[in-house]
Amino acid sequence: MSNVKFGSLIATIALAAILPAACKHKTPPPPKVIPSTLETPAPVVAPPPVETTTSPTAVQAPVDFVREEPKVTAEVLPNDIEDLNRAAQTRGWVQDAFFSYDESTLTSEAQAALGATATWLKSHPDISLLIEGHCDERGTEQYNLALGDRRANIAKEYLATLGVDAGRIKTVSYGVERPFDPGHTEQAWAKNRRDHLVLAGAGR
Amino acid sequence: MTSFHSIGNQQSTEQRVRQRPVERRPLRSPWRWRRSPALLLMTAALLSAMPAPSQTQITPPPIDRSLANQTVPIAVPYPTLNAVPAAAITDELFGPLTRDLAISGVFSLVPLPPGAGITPEVAKRAGAQQILYLSIAYSAPAPSSSTAPQASPEFVIEARLYDSTGVSGLARSYRGPAAALTRMAHIIVSDLVRQFNGKPGIFLTQIAFVSDRDGHPEIYLMNYDGGNQRRITFHNSISVLPSWSPDDERLVYTSFARKTTDMYIVNRNGGGRIRLNTGLNLNTSATFSPVGHDIAFVGSVAGNPDIYLIRDDGTNLRRLTTTSSIESTPEWSPTGRQISFTSGRSGTPQIYVMDSEGANVRRISFEGEWNDDASWSPDGESLAYTSRVDGRFQIRIMSLVTGQSRIIAGEGSNEQPGFSPDGRFLVFQSNRTGKWQIYRARVDGSDVLPLTFVGENKDPDWSKKMP
Repeated sequence: MSNVKFGSLIATIALAAILPAACKHKTPPPPKVIPSTLETPAPVVAPPPVETTTSPTAVQAPVDFVREEPKVTAEVLPNDIEDLNRAAQTRGWVQDAFFSYDESTLTSEAQAALGATATWLKSHPDISLLIEGHCDERGTEQYNLALGDRRANIAKEYLATLGVDAGRIKTVSYGVERPFDPGHTEQAWAKNRRDHLVLAGAGR
Repeated sequence: MTSFHSIGNQQSTEQRVRQRPVERRPLRSPWRWRRSPALLLMTAALLSAMPAPSQTQITPPPIDRSLANQTVPIAVPYPTLNAVPAAAITDELFGPLTRDLAISGVFSLVPLPPGAGITPEVAKRAGAQQILYLSIAYSAPAPSSSTAPQASPEFVIEARLYDSTGVSGLARSYRGPAAALTRMAHIIVSDLVRQFNGKPGIFLTQIAFVSDRDGHPEIYLMNYDGGNQRRITFHNSISVLPSWSPDDERLVYTSFARKTTDMYIVNRNGGGRIRLNTGLNLNTSATFSPVGHDIAFVGSVAGNPDIYLIRDDGTNLRRLTTTSSIESTPEWSPTGRQISFTSGRSGTPQIYVMDSEGANVRRISFEGEWNDDASWSPDGESLAYTSRVDGRFQIRIMSLVTGQSRIIAGEGSNEQPGFSPDGRFLVFQSNRTGKWQIYRARVDGSDVLPLTFVGENKDPDWSKKMP
């Protein structure tokens, strides 16, 4: 909203600059003769129409009369845990980490995602985290439950090395139980091989 | 198949299809190549081990040793109905009863000429050595007290078995409400089979499984033939991997009910639920020891899943594997002396076996880059497990004696095999129809029969005893 005010201020100043000039040239200037080698006369170029608005003259605010307090804008933060998680995902406060097939090691992309997450978590020490380990469907249910546990813990350990208190982090393995994409393509599987990071609210 | 048609001429097409699994045909049958030597030996052993008949029972016909590798041809005329609706009898009693007989491995059904009045002579001419007469009537239940409201009438089923000379081998009466008709059919065939080989068969066994048909994955039970499917957990969360106790009275499973994975034990009727507090993560793949009170399961500390034991009262936690790799999916041998499990220590998930104290670990599976879900045959000589072949999961059965293995081919992915308590059948899950459903097949892979149809169904576990 400060942008709106700033914009109107610019408009006012511009108008003030234009208005006196417009008054001086009430009649259009004589057509300019354009030298031409052609026999046909050059077309007459009409001058651009000048706006003669009747807007009220801008009033100059008295300088140093009242000093405004610096403008502060307030925003309602998501308080409900679901809203908080939605905001955290869309704004990238916490970012899921993705894995290769049957792997529980962190790729450089996964490390970057967890790095951003660590930064946000360290500045929000009141909020705890749940890491859900997920797998794609191309494995057996029982082994994938164990694999999901390992994936969740590798992220927990990495966040701890980045300075996040491990006591704030819980893990759970969903194995193949809750795929993000129910499809059966490599695209879907890649989405499903992930640590999904869920903010779990205040406390531990 | 004509035999079934003429015996159960009121059965539906689906039932006739399901009846295809006649295991033992007379020698003239073109299907006899299906017989496996192991089954023949087993039957011979069972027949010779038949207990002496008690004084109150009429002696069963003497066993001709030369026929020991054959089934007993039995004729079952459609029962006499005394003012009883035929539809209920056909669907809930006669159908299940003849299907049980057909897959019993002990009897083979004999085709009968159409029409009523099948005498033992007629049945004998048709090739039957035994004939089972059923007589069905309504009866008012015995009044429990004079003030109690009148209960609905009960069925009384009389079963009489005669040999071809007219000598009675079994005469029993069974009484129960209409809802128990199918159970009565299973009990009758159990009694018949026990009469002939000393063991009751699998007709009263149950299969536990997971279904999301009511919205959430919950634990269900069903009869061995898919009948009477019923829910026993109500977590409204994700509950998976049920496993029977050795006495078939309880089940242990894993639920996400508390946003983490915990082990629960519940009675077979859904009551008496307790949660086992292990202090570990995961708590998956839980399985009762066939002896004692231990439960093997996968626990995890700091992302290192290993095989652990805990008593069924939540005490005496022990760690069996100590490697840094993933260990999963323990399963006890029938004697409780060994435990199979899955480990990623070689780089891919493979099947291993160790002593139940954790020593003497040896690798079992070498083929395929992903093997899991090992399950022991009741004789302890084979493992069935999930094995990836050409990118698809298939059921592989490996002989621990010879080290040879074979694949049971099937469409789609086929996972989580388990043996029936008599070792003749497998239950497993397959997504061959696009959804996960539970199937039953013979151990040779023939006669695949779907048992579930609604929702997605998985994690089958066959009960352990033959009641």
